[in-house]
Amino acid sequence: MKTLNKIILLLAGIILSSTVYSQINVVKLKKTGSPKIVVKVRFQNGSIVDPIGKEGITDLTASLMMEGGTSTFTKSEINEMTYPMAAYYYSNTDKEVSTLTFAFPKDFVDEFYPVLKGLILTPTFEESDFNRVKSNTLNYLTQVIRASSDEEFSKKALEEMLFEGTPYSHMVVGTVEGVTSISLDDVKEHYVNFFTKNNVSIGVSGDFSDEFVDNLKNDLSTLSSNEAVIPRMKAVEMPDGINIKIIEKKEALGSAIFTGYPIDITRADDDFAALMIANSWMGEHRKAYSRLYYKIRKIRSMNYGDYSYIEWYNNGGRNQLPTTGVPRSSNYFAIWIRPVQIADQLKEQYPELADITIGHAHFALRMAIREIDLLVENGMDPDEFEKTKQFLRSYIKLYIQTPDKELGFLMDSQFFGRENYIAELDKLLENTTLDQVNEAIRKYFQTQNMDIVIITDDSESQALAESFRENKTSEMSYADQLKAELPQDVLDEDKEVESYQLNVKSVEIISSDEPFID
Amino acid sequence: MLKHISGLLLLLILAAWSNPTEPTNDNADSENILPYPIQQKTLDNGLNVVVVEYPSPGLAAFQIVMRVGARDEVEAGKTGFAHFFEHMMFRGTDNYSSDEYSEVLKSIGAAANANTWLDRTVYHMTGNAKMLDKMFEVEADRFMNLNYSVHDFKTEAGAVKGEYTKNNASPYAKLGEKTAEVAFTEHTYGHTTMGYWDDVVDMPNQYEYSLKFFDQFYRPEYATILVVGDVKFDDVYSLAQKYFGMWEKGDFKSDIPIEPEQKETRYAHVEFPGFPPYLELNYSSPAFDDQSMDVAALDVLSTIVFSERSDLYKKLVIDEQKVRYISGGFFFTRDPYLYSISSSVVNEEDMQYVKNEVDKALEQVKTQAVDETLLEETKSKLKYSAAMNMDSPSSIAGNLAFFIWVSGEPESLNNIYNSYDKVTAEDIMHAAQKYFVPSHLTISTISSQKEGGIN
Repeated sequence: MKTLNKIILLLAGIILSSTVYSQINVVKLKKTGSPKIVVKVRFQNGSIVDPIGKEGITDLTASLMMEGGTSTFTKSEINEMTYPMAAYYYSNTDKEVSTLTFAFPKDFVDEFYPVLKGLILTPTFEESDFNRVKSNTLNYLTQVIRASSDEEFSKKALEEMLFEGTPYSHMVVGTVEGVTSISLDDVKEHYVNFFTKNNVSIGVSGDFSDEFVDNLKNDLSTLSSNEAVIPRMKAVEMPDGINIKIIEKKEALGSAIFTGYPIDITRADDDFAALMIANSWMGEHRKAYSRLYYKIRKIRSMNYGDYSYIEWYNNGGRNQLPTTGVPRSSNYFAIWIRPVQIADQLKEQYPELADITIGHAHFALRMAIREIDLLVENGMDPDEFEKTKQFLRSYIKLYIQTPDKELGFLMDSQFFGRENYIAELDKLLENTTLDQVNEAIRKYFQTQNMDIVIITDDSESQALAESFRENKTSEMSYADQLKAELPQDVLDEDKEVESYQLNVKSVEIISSDEPFID
Repeated sequence: MLKHISGLLLLLILAAWSNPTEPTNDNADSENILPYPIQQKTLDNGLNVVVVEYPSPGLAAFQIVMRVGARDEVEAGKTGFAHFFEHMMFRGTDNYSSDEYSEVLKSIGAAANANTWLDRTVYHMTGNAKMLDKMFEVEADRFMNLNYSVHDFKTEAGAVKGEYTKNNASPYAKLGEKTAEVAFTEHTYGHTTMGYWDDVVDMPNQYEYSLKFFDQFYRPEYATILVVGDVKFDDVYSLAQKYFGMWEKGDFKSDIPIEPEQKETRYAHVEFPGFPPYLELNYSSPAFDDQSMDVAALDVLSTIVFSERSDLYKKLVIDEQKVRYISGGFFFTRDPYLYSISSSVVNEEDMQYVKNEVDKALEQVKTQAVDETLLEETKSKLKYSAAMNMDSPSSIAGNLAFFIWVSGEPESLNNIYNSYDKVTAEDIMHAAQKYFVPSHLTISTISSQKEGGIN
């Protein structure tokens, strides 16, 4: 599996191949006495199967399956039937899989099953539901993503930039033009071609019977028998130098920053554990004890937090722990710098900063990049290595606190050719040595080439672009009252950081209307 | 309010009379929504200890629930302070510097954090149940011995500003701030937990006030220790006694202004072209009381009128497609707050129509008794929904914490579900008539227009 992935990743261009299962794979997670049953039906498709010009169709199809009726029940009848059960169900599509999740009380297993079965096997795909779901998706694409969370906006825009020319480039929900061009017939055809018995797998948790699982398996074997043709991801080209895209908007209070460059490693690789230790020390998600957080937030109070990633972390602004259903064969190393202050705001707050032309974005980026360089240069401290390893061995157990999450992780394990990722990861972490970590750092971390997206206020964009283009000194602009008490070593370090050379190759300013169009 | 105080006194008396190894556990035998007994007992200093023994091998959720929040920010210029103070709680003591505290958390391998809201500040960590002793040690240390420098104080204020900055990108955040300000003229619910921008910017200058704040509120009578998971009550209680037993009791009580009755409809509006039109109807809601039929009836009503099964949802979302979603409900709060009906409207020109349709639905529930079968099905939905939601130490602790801060009594979780069972069609009609009154309404809108213009 691992070798196959490697070969595929090394080949340029989209390679069409198909994965055919002789029989439907089932993950069972028995929880005797649990009042809740969770069923996950996963299709190996994801937004990478969206045809060019129809970007968003996989997500739209999965959403519509969950938003309509069945050959037996109308949507209203389903709402009435499931109401007293408090049953719920939803779809989640990512780049390479779509997962339909159904949760219902064990007490109603017989009553709910016909609904579950019907939604998967005989969705009605009615015109009115299609119009509603499509309209909501377009609303998200044209308005919501651009004006709700600058952090989420920056992440999606970074992926569009980094993966340009690959099936990963467009957002899972699609592009404005792609979604606009999708017809109901397109959706019906997509359902038959990509939601089939040949690319489906099942997961069940709770206090269920074997008969229940057998029935589900048998019923799902009546799905379309088409062989889903899944494009594999081509190798993602390493950016040439540091390329920065500044997205300007009105009335932004700060600058939201996200960076990335491709790394050829996934959970399938054994050295993922080593890289995970290095990354956790550098920027564990939402943790105060990582390096970036310490330097940028804790010592200098520049923002709300700073983290780094070696795989996609879904909705990091909301989630404290990783979610499931987002397994990817193509990863990138990312730095997330939460919004830092812009010049206009700082000037308004502190008269002593009246002369500054840019806020903290340039300095914060320099600081983060320098920290990566220092890690590559010096390797990890042995004591920190041990502590981080022990931390992760405990912490990963919290990923699977609920049966739902445990089931999700087991299903994701299979995507990477593993049986039980969390259990295997614990063993891998246990056996990882400092040398292996340092080797992984040298192999996967670098700062010469990366894409960067910054969402900022239009008062800041030009000066910030110029600062990057000319590698200008970006002195850290503290308020006097804070600066007065800062230890000398912090001020000395600031001096190093303010003129730290970044390998900037290009800086582009675009408006917030431009991303996600086609 | 009086009721809560009486409840607390009663608990104190019970605690004084009972054997230390026998916690109160009154409802263990009845059919509760939480199928595990809630065991609790109060230390002499007023600190309540609540434990749910739950089969999560090796894992425990540990929370400290402080009944202090934005509601307690009565002084001018101090909005957002309870939240800011939550940040300062991570800035160290003489025994454990901030960095050392972080190191301990890391060594425990715990997921730990804190958050603040109107009525409370919650500090939580979930991790290895065998490390509970260490968790207690470091938490007791910072709750009793917090000691930070002026410089650290000023530095942390920058992080709060960063938090405000990230939140402010959303027009909903801007509207939330305006709505609170308009809906409340006296009560501290008139500002958000984040506080006003000017107060956030001024936070570095409030060091002296922060010492006073800690002295007033970070006292055992404001706190509850809550542990759910692979633990035993006696062990937890012993740890509480060992580490928190010497925490000195205080005597401060916030003087929260009483909100005068609203006399006419009020309006809050954010002009934001290029963003989905948004309509929110905010009616004054009752304070939480687990025995109040108004509270229980309003909650049951929310499910009936605004769920996906409801006639209103079917008409506006599914059939006419005038709105993208609609929801209605209220948070349980210590004082009267807001019952909010929210809707993302497809076309701006339909906002008044949507408002009129909501009015009709509310009028109907005021004048016609709901169908008995629907009422029973709704009670079933509420129960199953809760039962399915409580499947980990963290989720159970989260549910219990809610009731600890809002009523001071974790059994309120079981009690409110018992109250749902008793709700009649008449209770619902009565609650609708009492609370959905135009003079108690604040209409909040986001649109491309200068004014909201919705009546």
